[in-house]
Amino acid sequence: MSSLVTTANDLVLNQQIKERLVATPLAWYAYEKILFRIAVIFFICICIPNSVAWFEHVIAIDWTSLHYRDLYDIARFGSGINIFGNTIFGSNLLGYANWVTTLLISIAVGLAWSWIVRARGTERSEYQVLHYWLRAVVRYRAGIGIIGFGFTKLLPVQMPYPSLGLLNTDFGDFTAQKIYWLSIGIVPWYQIFAGIVEVLAGSLLLFRKTTAIGAVLLFGALGDIVYVNFAYDGGVHVYSSYFVLLSAFLLVPEIPRLYNLLIRERVTQPFRFYPVLPQWLKITRVGLKSGVLLLFLVVFFYLQLVNFLYDPYKQPSVAGVLQLRGNYAVTEFRLNNNLLPANAQDTLRWQEVTFENWSTLTFRVNRPTPLDLSNGGGDPQRDVNRTFEVSCVAGGQRVFHYEADEKEQTLYLEDKYKSIPDRRNRPAGVGGDGGSEKNLQSTAARNKPAVRTNAVLWKPEEWISPAARERIGNEVDKIDAKAQTTRRRREFAQAISLENRNRMILQYSTADNGNIVVLTGLNENKDSIKVVLNRVNRNYALSASTLNAGKY
Amino acid sequence: MAIRRIAILFCFTWFAFLCVPVTPQFWQELFALNWSEPGYSNLFRLAHYTPRIYPGPDTFLNWAAVAVIAFVIGIAWVLIGREKTGQAERLYYGVRALARYRLAVAIFAYGFLMYHPLLAPYPSLSNLNTAYGDFTRWKLFSLSLGIVPGYQSFLGLVQIICGLLLLYRKTASIGAFIIAIYLGNVFMSNLAYEGGETVYSLYLIILSLFVLSYDARRLIDLLILQRPAKPNTYHPEFSSQWLRVGRVVLKSSFVLVFVLFYALSTREAFAADRYQFPAATGLSGVQGLYNVIEFERNGTAVPYDSVWTGRWRDVVFEKWPTVSIRSSRNVAIDSNNTEHFESDDRLRTYELEGSAGRHYYSYIVDPSKHILTLSNKNPHYKGETLQFVYSQPDESTLVLSGNDFNNDNLKVVLKLRTKKYLIEEAKRTGRRGVIRL
Repeated sequence: MSSLVTTANDLVLNQQIKERLVATPLAWYAYEKILFRIAVIFFICICIPNSVAWFEHVIAIDWTSLHYRDLYDIARFGSGINIFGNTIFGSNLLGYANWVTTLLISIAVGLAWSWIVRARGTERSEYQVLHYWLRAVVRYRAGIGIIGFGFTKLLPVQMPYPSLGLLNTDFGDFTAQKIYWLSIGIVPWYQIFAGIVEVLAGSLLLFRKTTAIGAVLLFGALGDIVYVNFAYDGGVHVYSSYFVLLSAFLLVPEIPRLYNLLIRERVTQPFRFYPVLPQWLKITRVGLKSGVLLLFLVVFFYLQLVNFLYDPYKQPSVAGVLQLRGNYAVTEFRLNNNLLPANAQDTLRWQEVTFENWSTLTFRVNRPTPLDLSNGGGDPQRDVNRTFEVSCVAGGQRVFHYEADEKEQTLYLEDKYKSIPDRRNRPAGVGGDGGSEKNLQSTAARNKPAVRTNAVLWKPEEWISPAARERIGNEVDKIDAKAQTTRRRREFAQAISLENRNRMILQYSTADNGNIVVLTGLNENKDSIKVVLNRVNRNYALSASTLNAGKY
Repeated sequence: MAIRRIAILFCFTWFAFLCVPVTPQFWQELFALNWSEPGYSNLFRLAHYTPRIYPGPDTFLNWAAVAVIAFVIGIAWVLIGREKTGQAERLYYGVRALARYRLAVAIFAYGFLMYHPLLAPYPSLSNLNTAYGDFTRWKLFSLSLGIVPGYQSFLGLVQIICGLLLLYRKTASIGAFIIAIYLGNVFMSNLAYEGGETVYSLYLIILSLFVLSYDARRLIDLLILQRPAKPNTYHPEFSSQWLRVGRVVLKSSFVLVFVLFYALSTREAFAADRYQFPAATGLSGVQGLYNVIEFERNGTAVPYDSVWTGRWRDVVFEKWPTVSIRSSRNVAIDSNNTEHFESDDRLRTYELEGSAGRHYYSYIVDPSKHILTLSNKNPHYKGETLQFVYSQPDESTLVLSGNDFNNDNLKVVLKLRTKKYLIEEAKRTGRRGVIRL
C-alpha cells in the first residue's frame, strides 16, 4: 500500500522518530515512582507461594517418575500475604480478601520506602531495571501458571465427556457449575482449542517481544473465565482473576502508547528496555529459560498425554467388567424377596441402571439423598475418590465404585458419595477448586464420625477376603505401566481413614448374550436384593465424542 | 506493478461487495418485510445479510463468486486506467468505513439480543425434565447459556461496546480487534457445537480483520517488533457543505435505527414477548410436571416400565399452550440451529429444537366441552393430532381420555409432581451448603 501513499508525510514522521529516539530515557514522575514501589511489593508477594504445603510438595517430587499433577501443582499455588489470615473483618470478600490485605501492606511499605529514600536523599530518577525484573517475574508466574492450567484442556481431561449416568440425568438435576463443565466436556475439540489458547498465551509471555500479545490474549480469555465462574458458581473466580490482574499489569505501559498512536495519532515510541546483562547472567538466563520451556512445554505435554491416554484424572482409570457395560432397564426388583412392581414413585426400587466403561455402577432411586456439591476435580488417585460422575448430580442418582472378582462373578461396591470429601489441590491452598476452603477448616469436623444415617459398617471379615483380594488384584497396579508413578504409589500406600461408605456385595450373572444381567446379594442396608436388568440401546441425540480419554 | 494495483483494487472491490447489499434477494426481502412484526426481528433479518449468489444455505462458494466479480472489476479498472493519485488511500478509507458499519450492524443485532437475554432463554420446564443425552450439542450450548442470563447480558454488552468502538474511525481498530477475538470463539463454537452460523461468523471475522488491517502495521510495530510506530495521516476531506451535513445525518440515523430503536425494540420484547417461546397463556391451573400414574390403552392397563414405546412416562404442561410427553417413542429431531422469529405461536419451536426424549404438542382448549386438541409441533410429525376430554378431580390430578394419533383409545391419569431442581436449589444455597435431593 505504501507506494500509493503520499511520501511527504513519511519524511516528516521519520524525522520525528529520530528526534524521539535521542530523547529517551526519561526521568519518572514522583507519582509513578511511588506507584511503582507499591507495585513491586504487591506483585512480588502475589507471585511467590505462601503455603508450606507447596514447598513440601516440590521437595517431595520424584523426578524419575513424574506425574502430570506434579508439574500442575508446581504451577498452581496460593500466594499473597496470609499471615493475618484470609479474611478482613471476618469476611473473605468472595475470596479476594487476601489481595486486599496484600495491597494494604504494599501501600504501607511502598509509602515508607518512598519516604525513606526521600529523607535520605537517595531517590533514583527512574526504576527501569527493577521494572524489567519485576515484569520478568510476573511474566514467568503468569506464563507457567496458565500453561499448567491449559494442558488439562489441551489434552481434554479437565472436562470429561459425560458418562452414561450423566447422559441419563435430566438437565434440571445438575448445578449450574456442572452444566458448564459438561457443556465443554461434550466438545473435546473445542476444549483442545481453549487449551491451545491458554498454553499459547502462557508461552508468549515467556518471551519479551511477544509479552504484549500474550498478555492481551490472557486478559481476554481469563476475563471471560472470571465471569463464567461467577455466573456458574464455578469456584475458580479468584484464581482466574489472578491471571487477569497479572496480565493487566503487563499491559500497563502499552495503554498510554496505544492511546497516543491510535487516538492522538502521534508517532509513538515502543515500550522497550532490555538491560545489558553480565556474561554469567546471560548464561543463567538462557539456562533457566530453556529449563522452563523444556519442563513446562515438552515434559508437561508428554505427561498430560500419558494422563489422557491411560489415566484421565476425573474418570476412574480401572476398566469395568467387559460383559456388563451399558444401559439397563430394571425389569424385576426384589427386596428381601418381596417383588416391588415397576413404579416411578417407588422409594426403594432401582431404576435406570448403568455400568460404565470403567469400574462404576449407577442407578436411580426416588428417595432424597445428600449430594456431593464439589466440582469433582482435584488429584485423587483412587478410583473411588474420582467423583466427577457423582458430584452435583441429583435426580436420585446413586453411584458405586466396584472391585470385581470376575472368577466368582462378585462385585464389591462402595458408594462414591462421602459426607466429608477429601481435601484436594493441597499445594494450591485457599482459592483452589471449590470445596478446598471448606476442607481446610473442617479438620475438627473430619475427626467427628461421618454422618451416614443408614450406613451399616461391614466387618472386615465380611468384606473382600484375602483369597478374593488375590483374584481381584490391587487397584494401584491396574493401569498401564506408562502411567505408573511414584505419586500414585504413595497415595495408595497411605492408610484409608475416615471412610464410612455405603457398601454392597452383589453376584452377577448374564443371560441371553449379555442382554440380561441378574444381580443378587446384599445392599447397603444388608438387605437381600435381586435385580434383573435388561439391556437398553439408547440412541442419544448428543453426538458421541471422537476423542476418548482413558483405556478401558 | 500492474499486478499489485489489480490486487489492491480487487481487494477493495471484494470487501465493498461483501458489505453492501447488492443481491436482488436482499431488496426482495426488504420490501417483503412485515412491519406489523416487532421491529427488532426485521432489523435482525436485514442485519444478517450476506451476499448470496447460489441458492440454499450460505456457503463459502458465495464468497468465491463475489471474488470473481471483484477480480474482473479490478482488472478492468486498471486496464481502463482510471486510477488517480491518492485514490488507493481514499478507497481504503471508504471501504473500511463500509466494513466498519456493516460489522457494527451485525454486532448490534446479536449484542442487544443477548444484552436483553432473549437469544438463549432460561430452559422450559420440559427442557429441565429431559435427559442431558437427549439434546443435541447445539441445544445444550443454548441451554447452558440460558441458565445464566447475567452472563449472556455481559456477552451482549461486550458486543455492544465493540459495535460502538467501530463507529469511530480512531477506535475502530480496537473494537475490531476485540470483536475478532470474540468472533473467533463464536466461530469455533459453531464448529464444535454444530451450530448454524459457521459461514456467517467467519464472514464477520474477515470483515473485522479488514478493519483492523488499517492499523495492523503500526500495532505490530509498536507491540511486537517494538520499534517506533507511525500514526495514520490520512484524513478524509469533506469539502462541500452537503457532504459534511450528509455524513452527520447518515451517522445519526444509523445510530438512531441500529442502536436506539433496536435497543428499545429488544427491550420491549424482553419485557413483553420473548420470541423463543409461545406468547399465549395455556390452560390455567395445570402448569407443571406430572407423573403418569395410570395408563390405559384400549381398556388395558399398561404398567410403568413397559417396553412399549406408547407408554407415557411423564407429562409437562408449560405456562404457554404446549404440552410435552416423555416416552421411549423415537423422536425425529427438529434440527434447526439458527434464529427465526415467528409471530405464530405454533411456529415457535425453540422448546423442541435439538431435543429428543419428549414429543411437543401445541394445544387448543374448548373450555365448555373440556376438550384439549393437541397437535405435534415438530415439522417431522405434521398433522399428528390427539384429542382428549380432560377433567381435574382435584388440584393435583388431571385425567385425560380420548384418542391418540393411532386412534387408540387412551385413558391417562396424571398426578402433579412437586419437584425440586438442583439447578435452582444450588442457586439458593450455593455449593458450600448441604442439599438433599
